[in-house]
Amino acid sequence: MADLAFTIISIALIIPISLFLGVIYAFLLRKFNARFQWRVGPVVRMYSDLAPVIGSTRVWQPMYDILKLFGKDTLIPASAHKRLFTWSPYFSLFFSFAAVLFIPFPGMPLLSDAPYSLIVASYLLIASILFTILGPVASGSPWGAIGARREVELFLVAELGFVASLFLVAFMKGSLVIAELSGTVGSIPMVLVTLLAGITMFAAMLGKLHIKPFDMPEAECEIVAGPYTEYSGKLLGTYFLAKIFVLYNMVALFIAVFLPPVSSSVLWLPLYVVAALVLVFLLAVVQVLNPRYAIRKALTWYLKIVVPLVILGFIAAFALRMVA
Amino acid sequence: MGLIDRARIYSPWVYHFHCGGCNGCDIETLAALAPRFDAERFGIQLVASPRHADILITTGCVPKQFIPMIKRVYKQTPDPKVVVAIGGCACGGSLFYDEDPENYAILGSPDLLIPVDVYVPGCAPKPEQIINGIVQGILKLNEKATRGKK
Repeated sequence: MADLAFTIISIALIIPISLFLGVIYAFLLRKFNARFQWRVGPVVRMYSDLAPVIGSTRVWQPMYDILKLFGKDTLIPASAHKRLFTWSPYFSLFFSFAAVLFIPFPGMPLLSDAPYSLIVASYLLIASILFTILGPVASGSPWGAIGARREVELFLVAELGFVASLFLVAFMKGSLVIAELSGTVGSIPMVLVTLLAGITMFAAMLGKLHIKPFDMPEAECEIVAGPYTEYSGKLLGTYFLAKIFVLYNMVALFIAVFLPPVSSSVLWLPLYVVAALVLVFLLAVVQVLNPRYAIRKALTWYLKIVVPLVILGFIAAFALRMVA
Repeated sequence: MGLIDRARIYSPWVYHFHCGGCNGCDIETLAALAPRFDAERFGIQLVASPRHADILITTGCVPKQFIPMIKRVYKQTPDPKVVVAIGGCACGGSLFYDEDPENYAILGSPDLLIPVDVYVPGCAPKPEQIINGIVQGILKLNEKATRGKK
């Protein structure tokens, strides 16, 4: 009974926590990007003479962007399949939020100890991305369709890396429960294989989060805003909110599965924060250092670099299991 | 002021709409949004689709062939929205202004087709002036949103 009450309280708490952290991660990505480009970026402390008019800080800038969109009109193109176009952002948000419940946070295992939680969380994250493809396809816009097509192509390879790196660790440790994966460190060879899986997961994260060089689905100079071209107002805000949750999920899942036992104990909260900051910093570094790849080059890159690394990891994991 | 009204002031997204002209104002507009002035500090962002925009920045005179496009882009921008005309051509036609005989190719300034809220004159205006125009646009945006609620 006490366990159930604790889980319910944890679920109630993780909603604001995940939103808060997702917004902070999105802000940090923008801030790091700006600093690397010798810009100021969204200001942490507003200039004193401007603060009374335009607010004292811009740390919450990603949240302001979303709130602003919720206050705007929503336009639905005449050519769109209205039901699919309208519901896709909500489904995307629902799935990305549902995934939050299966990924542990320091001191809060949530539903990560449920059977097959790894499979459920990865399916939910994939479903969230799937609805960022279906909505734009339903918009009837050529830009939306081109963006969705690029998203599908990237989806096929990035999700392959994502699922393969998760299941590499699961195969090596013999568990499909995230709580068990995040609670066990294992021997030095196992740590090395986890590190290898972490590298491939990081590459998959770049594709899933549309970070350069894999931001071609939203390539603004080429295809307007890609999948989001026809979206406006509340629907666009809902998609951006889903993206905030996906960003939180990816960082949390990376820490839970590839950096055990950072997320399994409340004592590790400072370590969790440091790990998340380093991960976001690395994402920003990759973003600023790379130009945008052509879609074919991105596919080749994943197939030539990520897939062989994952295969190598599986061979090593198989050998480790045979020895054990 | 409510949270959404506050967010509207903190997060103005700008769509740059080049009607037709010499590109002088466009260069200055992009300079206003580039790293030296870094408008992103205040949440101002250049967006690629008019459906995402709060502020439409128009530059140049409108050629007659361009009339349907400018009307369409205006319609595609969701309310509340504000139009900021940048440069002499967009403010009143500048050297393309020609009452009699009528110019065969150029209609004139965009305010003949869509309601313009802020005028930033100059040939071309400096980035500081353009940023000031955007700020005036943000204030008008908030006024419009409040009026819409009433």
